[in-house]
Amino acid sequence: MDVLSQLQRQLADFLASLYREGFVDDQFTQLQKLQDESSPDFVMEVVSLFFEDCEKLVNNMAKVLEQQVVDFKQVDSHVHQLKGSSSSIGAARIRNVCIAFKTFCEGQNREGCLRCLQQVNHEHAQLKANLQSLFTLERQIVAAGGSVPAMQ
Amino acid sequence: MAGEGHRRNYSSTTSSNECSPTVGTDTPIMATPLRKVCDRILGFASSCRKNTAPYGRRIFYRDVEQDEFQYGNTHCLSSYYSVFVVRLAIMIGKVMMTQVQILPLLSKELGSENEMEFIAYAMLAILIGLLTILTWHFTRSYTKKSLDTLASGLRYEILQRPILRMWNILNSTAEITAAQVKLSEYVIRRYSKPANQAEQVELYEVMRDITWALFSSRKALNAITINYRNGFVQAFHRDHRSNNTFYIYSDLVNYSINSQGSYDTNMFSSHQAWDDQSIHRNVSAIWYREPLDPVSGEKKGKASPIPPDDLINIAGLSQVPDGAASWHVAVSKYTDSPLLQAALPVWDSSNKSIVAVVGVTTSLFSVGQLMRELVEVHSGYIYLTSQEGYLLATSTNAPLLTNSTTRPNLIMAVDTEEPIIRMGARWLEKDYGNKLTPGQIVHVENAKLGDQQYYIDSFFLNLKRLPIVGVIIIPRRYIMGKVDERAFKTLVILISASLCILVIGCVCILILTNGVSKEMKLRAELISHLDARRRAEASNNYKSQFLANMSHELRTPMAAVIGLLDILICDDCLTNEQYATVTQIRKCSTALLRLLNNILDLSKVESGKLVLEDAEFDLGRELEGLIDMFSVQCINHNVEAVLDLSDDMPKLVRGDSARAVQIFANLISNSIKFTTTGHIILRGWCENINTFNDARFHLDQKKMRCAPKPKLRQQGNHMKKAWKKDNKMILWFEIDDTGCGIDPGKWESVFESFEQADPSTTRLHGGTGLGLCIVRTLVNKMGGEIKVVKKNGSGTLMRLYLLLNTPADGADLHCQVDFSSQNIVVLLALYGSMGRVIMSQWLHKIGLTTSGVSDWNELTQVLRKLFHVRRRENGFDVNCSLNEPLKSEVLNIEDMKDPVFIIVVDIALLDLSTDIWKEQINSLDKFSGKAKFAWMLNHDTSNAIKMELRKKGHLLMVNKPLYKAKMIHILETVIKEKDLERQKQSPDAARAKTKDGDMHECLEIDSTHFDTASSEESDMAEMGKSNSPSTFHLREKRRETEKMASESQCQSFKKCLVELANVDAESREDPCQIRPNSPSTQYGKDMLVCNKQAPFSTQNESSKHEERISESSSHKEQGNSYSSKAGNLDGLRILLAEDTPVLQRVATIMLEKMGAKVIAVGDGLQAVEALNCISSEKDFKRESPGDDGERGLQTDIQDSPRYDLVLMDCQMPKMDGYEATKAIRKSESGTGFHIPIVALTAHAMSSDEAKCLEVGMDAYLTKPIDYKLMVSTILSLTKRTA
Repeated sequence: MDVLSQLQRQLADFLASLYREGFVDDQFTQLQKLQDESSPDFVMEVVSLFFEDCEKLVNNMAKVLEQQVVDFKQVDSHVHQLKGSSSSIGAARIRNVCIAFKTFCEGQNREGCLRCLQQVNHEHAQLKANLQSLFTLERQIVAAGGSVPAMQ
Repeated sequence: MAGEGHRRNYSSTTSSNECSPTVGTDTPIMATPLRKVCDRILGFASSCRKNTAPYGRRIFYRDVEQDEFQYGNTHCLSSYYSVFVVRLAIMIGKVMMTQVQILPLLSKELGSENEMEFIAYAMLAILIGLLTILTWHFTRSYTKKSLDTLASGLRYEILQRPILRMWNILNSTAEITAAQVKLSEYVIRRYSKPANQAEQVELYEVMRDITWALFSSRKALNAITINYRNGFVQAFHRDHRSNNTFYIYSDLVNYSINSQGSYDTNMFSSHQAWDDQSIHRNVSAIWYREPLDPVSGEKKGKASPIPPDDLINIAGLSQVPDGAASWHVAVSKYTDSPLLQAALPVWDSSNKSIVAVVGVTTSLFSVGQLMRELVEVHSGYIYLTSQEGYLLATSTNAPLLTNSTTRPNLIMAVDTEEPIIRMGARWLEKDYGNKLTPGQIVHVENAKLGDQQYYIDSFFLNLKRLPIVGVIIIPRRYIMGKVDERAFKTLVILISASLCILVIGCVCILILTNGVSKEMKLRAELISHLDARRRAEASNNYKSQFLANMSHELRTPMAAVIGLLDILICDDCLTNEQYATVTQIRKCSTALLRLLNNILDLSKVESGKLVLEDAEFDLGRELEGLIDMFSVQCINHNVEAVLDLSDDMPKLVRGDSARAVQIFANLISNSIKFTTTGHIILRGWCENINTFNDARFHLDQKKMRCAPKPKLRQQGNHMKKAWKKDNKMILWFEIDDTGCGIDPGKWESVFESFEQADPSTTRLHGGTGLGLCIVRTLVNKMGGEIKVVKKNGSGTLMRLYLLLNTPADGADLHCQVDFSSQNIVVLLALYGSMGRVIMSQWLHKIGLTTSGVSDWNELTQVLRKLFHVRRRENGFDVNCSLNEPLKSEVLNIEDMKDPVFIIVVDIALLDLSTDIWKEQINSLDKFSGKAKFAWMLNHDTSNAIKMELRKKGHLLMVNKPLYKAKMIHILETVIKEKDLERQKQSPDAARAKTKDGDMHECLEIDSTHFDTASSEESDMAEMGKSNSPSTFHLREKRRETEKMASESQCQSFKKCLVELANVDAESREDPCQIRPNSPSTQYGKDMLVCNKQAPFSTQNESSKHEERISESSSHKEQGNSYSSKAGNLDGLRILLAEDTPVLQRVATIMLEKMGAKVIAVGDGLQAVEALNCISSEKDFKRESPGDDGERGLQTDIQDSPRYDLVLMDCQMPKMDGYEATKAIRKSESGTGFHIPIVALTAHAMSSDEAKCLEVGMDAYLTKPIDYKLMVSTILSLTKRTA
């Protein structure tokens, strides 16, 4: 039981740090709230969906940006999509990068776009790592027989 | 012997003569003039002994050679040189030209103007300098060369003449001497051995005769002397000055013939024997001089003894030491010029010994003469000196001899009195030493003597024993004077010209480069400006964009704060203090939100993101609502709010109603803020664009209003429609208040952001100064203009115009009931004078008789007068003290036949402070049969008064303020009533009953209802938190109004707040609430509530409030837990078109949690297909008419594949949300069915919203999806109330 409470505290701390550092925002909380008995792995499902989507988009954008003549419209639409999905799961940092990214796209600034793309990649990797560890913690808690504490 | 001597002496001459041609052959034609000179000299030389000739000739030849060589050389050199220089110049010129051509390029590319300028200057200077030097060189050098040649020729010519004369003299002297010698030889041989004294004497006599003959034949001779070996001397002397001729002889006594012998023998052994000492040996010898007749030679006088050698030089043996002829320069007492003395020995017969020496002396005077003549012609100086430097002859009159005490001496040339000659001699001496070597020729061109330049030429005549140096000094000015002058002038001119050119060139370069550099600078500046502007624009853009992007982020927390506060206010557990505090916080948050909205509005306009709607709306009604709304505030402030719209205002216009209302709301609230007493008038009139020529603000407002209604109205319908298609109307408005006014200097600046006329107003009245700025931007956006205009009296008059489209059929709604035929008299008993005046004016205009009173007493008086007059007809008479205009009005009214009286009474005329009002109302009873009373109520008029009025049968009540539409209502109601009465023919009894059934009899115009009904779209927009702050802003105000209205009705403050707390819910309900009513009214959505129903309606409302409270609590629950919310959307079928899997999943879960059934599709195409496949099913379902029926059906058939709502992502592959919506709407067209479509987008701008609405979507949600918002939106659209 001691281990469980420790794990739970760890989880709470970790989540708090995630919020504090701006990796995720309230939207993520809402997402977590949506998760219940009927859809136990909802958050993970959505998040993995997001990561897939994100990787796909990033690859696409990288491809487009590599070309001689960059089709900024296409990049913009990708970024827009990414912004929508990232704000939906509450990936605040990625969303913020997307906002900047969009501005660069509108300004047809290739360097800025590339920089943003890198940033997106970076944030994506960080978020992925963080969320993975989060899920691992949760799974550990569940395995230990505890319940994942709900965020308020 | 003499011939041999000749030959021997001059053998060298011949040899040199012979070889001279060989030298001469080399000479080119150039030297021919010189050759001629030489030939002439040769001619002379050959005829006599010319020991100087060879030298002279050689000198000349050498000179010629040299000259020729030099000439050729210099010619060659100079031509080479000049060619080279020209080439150089051309090269430099080319380089310069190319550089000059390159310059602009350089300057463009380098941009270093200074460097370039420097290069240009340097090149110009070099070019000009070269040109100058070249020109000068060419003009000078060739002239100089030729002149030099000529000058040297001249100098030789000049020199040659005295030389020739010299030779002449020498020749003649030599000839004479030779002749004398021959003769002497002959005579002496005859008397070779004089035996005795007598013979000796005879010999001397003969010698004397011979000598005389020779002497007299040559007048130029100075003297002839014969010096015998024995010392005897015979001489003839001619004194040219005194023209005397003398014979000089020595005393014979001392001379022995014998002595000759000894002397003879050693003559050759020792020449020293024949030295001068021999002559002076016997100094004791006495010489005699006897004057002779110069012609005959006879003795003229006595012989007088003279000391020997006193007068003349007697040539002795010493002068002919080697027995050859010798030359000698001598001086004599009697001449002032040097004498040239030639001496020849006389040999004896055996030719072995010298028996005598013959001397011939010639004066050099004539040489001087010649020189003088020459100099007179040619100027300059000529002189001859001996080798030692003694002057022999000069061209001047300076004395050649010095008179010492003993005897005259020759003077050196360097000591002569003539300064030029002295200086010349000194110059020569200095430069060439004391002695000129024989044959040396000096030729100097630029000898500076004194302060003048001279040519000095000297040559050397190598006479035997008498080398002579001839010097000619010619002032340079004489030959080269003009040339030098010209050269100097040319040089000066050239230099000055080149300086000028240089200066001009520099100036030109300066100007040119200045222009270029200025242009460059300007261009650079322009570029930097453009850059700066671009940057500024970009940053501004970023700012605006940022603000616009922030809109959602800013407003969401604010909405949350307000919502939470509302929840808190609903809490019953609050203490009074807490409640007050929370209420305060609520107010502040509202204010903050308003400010936020203002700023966002402004930034939105600035970023160009503000998109004006283009929808039809009834501007008049909007303004009426606005005035209704503000009048509450106005009445509280004791300010009169008047709406004064002209009749020609189009009823419907196209534009952004919310924004238009915002303009006026801002202006009016601004006016209210600053107006403490008086009135606020909103005037409006219209001007057709077709008649709009030169719309100016200065046009008189009255005139504008009097502008005739467009005549086009009378034209055919067809025509009307044609131009009404794009019929732009200019609508003029004025907001006229009696406030503190604005300082004229601030009339412009009040429209700036954060600008207030007086900084202190913030303290007094609050506000941010954004209101007017927003107004202006909006007005400008609508194609109008706003400005403050001058006003008579205190206060502010803002005038603006808007350019609005009127719809094609807009004017058709302009129907008006013609009241003029009805014979109506309106008595306006209104408290506010402004509203009364304006209303009565209008009533007059439409042909009604009016009269106005402002207080109760007046009203009663007028009433009494009017109706007592009628009674007077029945026998009554009343003395009334009415003022004159009123009296005349009353009189006018009296003239009318069977008028219908309408008396509009302001409730404020009643004395409400006490209970007197009841009496007052009662007092009107007696007139109720004769006139219709319409009561103007305040918003806070108590129910007791209303009840009392109803009791008394005063059923016509309207809220203040009174404006046209309300007046028309009153009139129409009255007329209708009248008609009914007439129809029923039972004027008194039946009226009340009919009224009960008639909904129109009692008018209670409720602004609240009016507001909420104004626009469904704006409701939705607000619910979507969709960035339309203006409506929000307005809505806030309306809420205030509502608040007050509800306050009066419910008397429950808390409940009212609850109502406010549930704004969303309320507004959601509003459409449903109003819809059944709206068709029932003739004039849009004005609520006409039957008086009998009024209590009910209050009852209803309060019960509604109860409902709302419960609703809000349920909302609260929902906020806390989703599960409790489940069922909210129960049974709804929602089609979700979303390509992003994440969002799709999230939205699906969200909606499913709330009980909705979600069908998700990946793109727009699928969405359209999904809808189309069920359209056939829809068809039969739609058969049941009416909304309610359908809704019922919908709930019944749960499992049918019908969708209640579509959530549409805007950006999707294959077919985006807009296209999909268009397609769906297209397929719907004609079926009458309308499926609600809610847009989902990550864009948060109103332009996006506008786009969404434009393609036919009903609402708009931004990502991330907010639960509450989504649920409320969906609920409002599906019309499912909880």
